[in-house]
Amino acid sequence: MNNGNPHPAIVLRAITKTYKTGALEVPVLHGIDCNVARGEYVAIMGPSGSGKSTLMNIIGCLDRPTSGTYVLDGEDVSNLNDNALAEIRLKKLGFVFQGFNLLARTDAQKNVALPLFYAGINGRERQRRAMAVLDEVGLRDRAHHKPNELSGGQQQRVAIARALINDPAVLLADEPTGNLDTKTSADIMALFDKLHDGGRTILMVTHDEAIARRARRIIRLLDGLIVADEPSSLTVP
Amino acid sequence: MYFEEAVRMLLANPVRTFLTIIGLIIGVGAVISIEVLGHSMAGSISETLGALADNSFIIFPGTMQGDFQKAAIRLSDLDAIKNSVPNIASATPVSGTDELIRYGHNLGRFFLSADSNPPFANTPIAYGRRISDDDIANAVDVTVISWKAYNRLFPAGGDPTGSSIYAGTHRYVVVGVRAQPRQGALNVTFGGDVSIPYTTYVREYVHGDRILAARFTVNDISTLPQTETAVINRIRELRQVGPDVRYQSFDKASFTQGINGVFSAITIVVALIGAVSLLVAGIGVMNIMLVSITERTKEIGTRKAIGARRGQILAQFFIESLMLSSIGCFIGMAIGLGIGGFVNSVFIIKLTGYTAPLPYAQAMAITAAFAAFVTAVFGTYPALRAAALDPIEALRYE
Repeated sequence: MNNGNPHPAIVLRAITKTYKTGALEVPVLHGIDCNVARGEYVAIMGPSGSGKSTLMNIIGCLDRPTSGTYVLDGEDVSNLNDNALAEIRLKKLGFVFQGFNLLARTDAQKNVALPLFYAGINGRERQRRAMAVLDEVGLRDRAHHKPNELSGGQQQRVAIARALINDPAVLLADEPTGNLDTKTSADIMALFDKLHDGGRTILMVTHDEAIARRARRIIRLLDGLIVADEPSSLTVP
Repeated sequence: MYFEEAVRMLLANPVRTFLTIIGLIIGVGAVISIEVLGHSMAGSISETLGALADNSFIIFPGTMQGDFQKAAIRLSDLDAIKNSVPNIASATPVSGTDELIRYGHNLGRFFLSADSNPPFANTPIAYGRRISDDDIANAVDVTVISWKAYNRLFPAGGDPTGSSIYAGTHRYVVVGVRAQPRQGALNVTFGGDVSIPYTTYVREYVHGDRILAARFTVNDISTLPQTETAVINRIRELRQVGPDVRYQSFDKASFTQGINGVFSAITIVVALIGAVSLLVAGIGVMNIMLVSITERTKEIGTRKAIGARRGQILAQFFIESLMLSSIGCFIGMAIGLGIGGFVNSVFIIKLTGYTAPLPYAQAMAITAAFAAFVTAVFGTYPALRAAALDPIEALRYE
């Protein structure tokens, strides 16, 4: 988990983002400065239109900032081209989506192994490593079930396993419990706690105050600016 | 992995996959089956022509011309041609007459014809021998009969050589029997049923100097076409006629070429039909790939988010198109070969008694070319479009 690596996981300096729609310019982020240290567990909160999705896209290397500097795991990724960004997503980031986004008709093990395929790793090694991560999320015995044969919570665990398989510098979760009931949400949050305890760096976007409070630090966005950045008041025993 | 995923996608929507490839199946099936039939028709015609000797050609006055009589070739021209045109080995009249032929109490009406050595047709001999140079030099009363004549005149079977058959009062000693040709409705017998030395024929049946046509054999087969021209020019000189009097020549090579020309024309027509069906089927493939990409926008977004590069998305959809068109084309090929083989074995074999083996290598080549073409032309655009999707937009797509 990149222990011994001296860089912070994320350094954001004066990040702005402006969308251009024809002649119209829509500024979304007005200058974000923020550091996330290795091993931190951070929640990003904010109402609709606050720019949190845009920020998440930039942190996730799906989009480039209009200006500013973004250093991920010691590497400046502010101005990389599409293929270089894909490479960064593959090597340094793990995504967990609200809707799980698993490949239908493809079993859990193959879903988990997909990033390794794009990384050019051979089938046997893919299988071995997929089983190891599935074990970590407690789904070893569901390895050959397809998504429609799994519960929502199990599907999200498979998605988390997929996000972890490349041993990413940062795990990004976008409303990871948004499609889950309360009890299952609690299970998933417990898994995030466990991953945090294991030293993972986790960044989570959520609307849900209760979920956000499971993180150790909460960043609040409003109109494209960070309005609050504080330790979570609720600590989980 | 790409192939595995492509198969999974195609099997996920079997009806849609089938409807997409049905155009390819029909197009390739039609092209391959016509290809097979053309191949076996051409094969059976050249097999039939195979009975003709390679080193000979026949010259006859062109039909459909004003003064047909003026063009007539004379028996007396033949020696002159043989002595003055290089490369001519023999010059013999082509002629024949229908005669009632009798052996004992067995009768039959057969075509009695003049033959030379080498014979008109190189059909194998079942009994005895062919007409020899000695038979010709001495105008001996001998005959080589066809398998058909043999069956009629010698119903009891056995070796008939040495027996005498009669054409009117003329007696001929059977010295040989030509073997049975392949059985087929269109079977052509070259050389007549009762062949006698042409010298004998001239003595007994030719009155006056005019002959129907002349047959020449050459020493060097490679210059046969030039020799044909030289002979025609010589005939014009001898007959004292201008180039307006036309003569036709017939030889195996140019006839075969003519037949092949007909089949090339058929092949071009088939290729055009194939091209149209390919276009229609290809548009179908492209359409369904675009639909599939739209349906899977979110999946593509997910793949990109977890690190798939453009090229990897491109490869995935390109391979899916390749699988789709390959499956269609190869099913079409199998059906085409099946139809072609069936028609071969049911109809063509009855017509000519011969069918060419199925052209597997050719069919494979045509099919692979079709599949590659459809994929390249109609699979590239959808794959490029998938690869170019913006991951953020794609992930947001519902």
